[in-house]
Amino acid sequence: MRLLLVEDDVMVASGIKLGLSNAGYAVDWVGSGERAEEVLRTEVFDAAIIDIGLPNMDGLELTRRIRRPEMASQHTPVLILTARDALQDRVQGLDLGADDYMIKPFELPELLARLRALLRRSQAATSAVLSFGPIELDTANRRASAQRNGQAVPIELGPREWTVMEYLLINAPKPASKDKLLQALTGWDKEITPNAVEVYISRLRGKLEPYGVALRSIRGFGYRLELRASDGE
Amino acid sequence: MKFFVSSFLPDAPASRAPRAGDLRGVTSGLRRRLLILLIAPLTVLAVINAWIEYRSADNVAAEQDQRLLSLVPLVADSVIGQSGERPLLMLAPPLEEFLKERSGSAAYAILDVDGKVLHGESWLQGLPPPDSTPETHSEEHEGATWRIVRQRQLTVLGEIVVAVADSSDPRQQWARSIFLRVLLPNLVLIAAAAFAVRWAVQRALKPLLSLKEAVERRSPRDLSAIDGAASPEEVRPLVDSLNRLFRMVDAQTESQRRFVADAAHQLRTPIAGLQAQVEAWAQAAGAAPREGSLALPTEQLYKLRSATRRTSQLANQLLALSRADARAIHATPEQRIDLKSLCEDALESHLDAATARGIDLGLDAVCVQVMGHEWLLRELLSNLVDNAVKYSDEGGTVTIRCGRRGSAPFLEVEDDGPGVAAAERPRILERFYRVQGTQGEGNGLGLAIAEEIARVHGSHLQLQAGAAGRGLKVTLSFTG
Repeated sequence: MRLLLVEDDVMVASGIKLGLSNAGYAVDWVGSGERAEEVLRTEVFDAAIIDIGLPNMDGLELTRRIRRPEMASQHTPVLILTARDALQDRVQGLDLGADDYMIKPFELPELLARLRALLRRSQAATSAVLSFGPIELDTANRRASAQRNGQAVPIELGPREWTVMEYLLINAPKPASKDKLLQALTGWDKEITPNAVEVYISRLRGKLEPYGVALRSIRGFGYRLELRASDGE
Repeated sequence: MKFFVSSFLPDAPASRAPRAGDLRGVTSGLRRRLLILLIAPLTVLAVINAWIEYRSADNVAAEQDQRLLSLVPLVADSVIGQSGERPLLMLAPPLEEFLKERSGSAAYAILDVDGKVLHGESWLQGLPPPDSTPETHSEEHEGATWRIVRQRQLTVLGEIVVAVADSSDPRQQWARSIFLRVLLPNLVLIAAAAFAVRWAVQRALKPLLSLKEAVERRSPRDLSAIDGAASPEEVRPLVDSLNRLFRMVDAQTESQRRFVADAAHQLRTPIAGLQAQVEAWAQAAGAAPREGSLALPTEQLYKLRSATRRTSQLANQLLALSRADARAIHATPEQRIDLKSLCEDALESHLDAATARGIDLGLDAVCVQVMGHEWLLRELLSNLVDNAVKYSDEGGTVTIRCGRRGSAPFLEVEDDGPGVAAAERPRILERFYRVQGTQGEGNGLGLAIAEEIARVHGSHLQLQAGAAGRGLKVTLSFTG
């Protein structure tokens, strides 16, 4: 995965770069909006991390320009970094085409998690395969499978189970709310009840369990896909 | 893990209710002073009055003596002969009139030169005066004070002594009259003055008292000017000085707040750099040390990272606190906010932290909307959930709630952790206050920020024990 980091503070930038490199990303770092614009015009990145507080051209302006058709990275997901007291910027940034934001200073594991989610969503939009841990959902061929011992084992899913699973995977690792799942299911059945959601969830649980994937209930909210064996930070 | 962090309310003591005793103190002090100032001269006047009366009573007494003395020759003239031992009398008309006028309180006697009574009241016997000058004295008889005049007189019987007595003592009458004429009017006057002063002081001080109440009623944060036009002219300079003081305090508070904000803001850039570096090191900890790098024990790196995270959180919270405190917040318009989606966001962003500690973080949210400042309420909820997750026991339960109680929407975070003793609860809202024996990373600002934000929304945080008396429940009720 190739990332672009746009940050003018050397300390912050080198720290983030090191952290991302350690996590296995290839990171290009530029220190100004103008330079970033040049790079993004011709090169394609999997994601861009942009600090709002850049000298001259600020991060918001850069975010706006990335979305122009002539940019090679027009569809690159953007994570903006902002100061906590500038939440107005966040709203503006999201309006201008940023995909997520983080408040500076931040903890590296959270940045990595956000980045993973961002890349996952971006992939889901462009590729036909959704995945979480060993589970893969090939949306083009409507085939679900799980990796076990290097082999893909097919998982049989009913149409409503598929809808629920797809929604959970798009959201993972964030939880999916029960209300939203219900909405997704009304495409199949107008009279669906919250109890029905629970039925599909419990069926899915049974099917995912053997592959070390848990469907955890979040009390009062919904469900979340989790890997049973904790993968550390 | 023991509990709790945070918070503030530096002006809690200042927001006490106005003490009624103080108000009374002001009036009664003035009233007492005015009473003394008025009653002292009145009393002096009364004394002078009494003294003049006393002098006039002296005159009355002298007149009485004079009158008795004038009767003496009349008695002597009334002796016209002798029948046996006793003199024969024919009372002169003025004498007769005198005796008739004051029957019972007037008496006379004729004595011989040895003092023996020849005629009249026998109790008037006594040694006659040595020469012809009259002798006057007072004497008690049958419970009355008699004024007695004795004088030698020459009559047809030769030299006798005439005694005339009058018990209608003008000094006693004076005592009565001095009460009626002097003391009573003065007492009435003083009582009337006391009432008048009381009434007048209350009337006159009313604007001053309402000004005092207006000052005491206001919150310590309300440093706006008092309307001087409503006060009487004499009080206006006081109002002006108060307003000047308010302006100064306001400016000082504002510059202090700005300083904290600026300092926190400036601190964040280097801290962000420091944190980014330390986070990267900690992430790489345990991996084989690279060429030219210093291998640090993983344990120490994690400690370093934890300290850095705490420092950066502190800088962030200081900034948030000073922003929430800003007057500008009150000026920005409130928006309609869906509390349920706010709760859902808070749940999502704290889910990982809760999961890491084995805490069951859940939601109990009903759709409800309030008018408020969204990013502030987000900050408030985040602080409450952060606290609950941090200070609950591992494997505990934390619930984020919103809905309506009666007509009032509310936001609430409840945990079943060790809780906070009732006595300590108000203090955890103070800035930098941490519960004794608290472990963990809190800096004592989270609840202070939440309380500040609650205040911006015209409310305050209520702290209670959670269900079954365990843990802590923090509630923000919105008014209306």
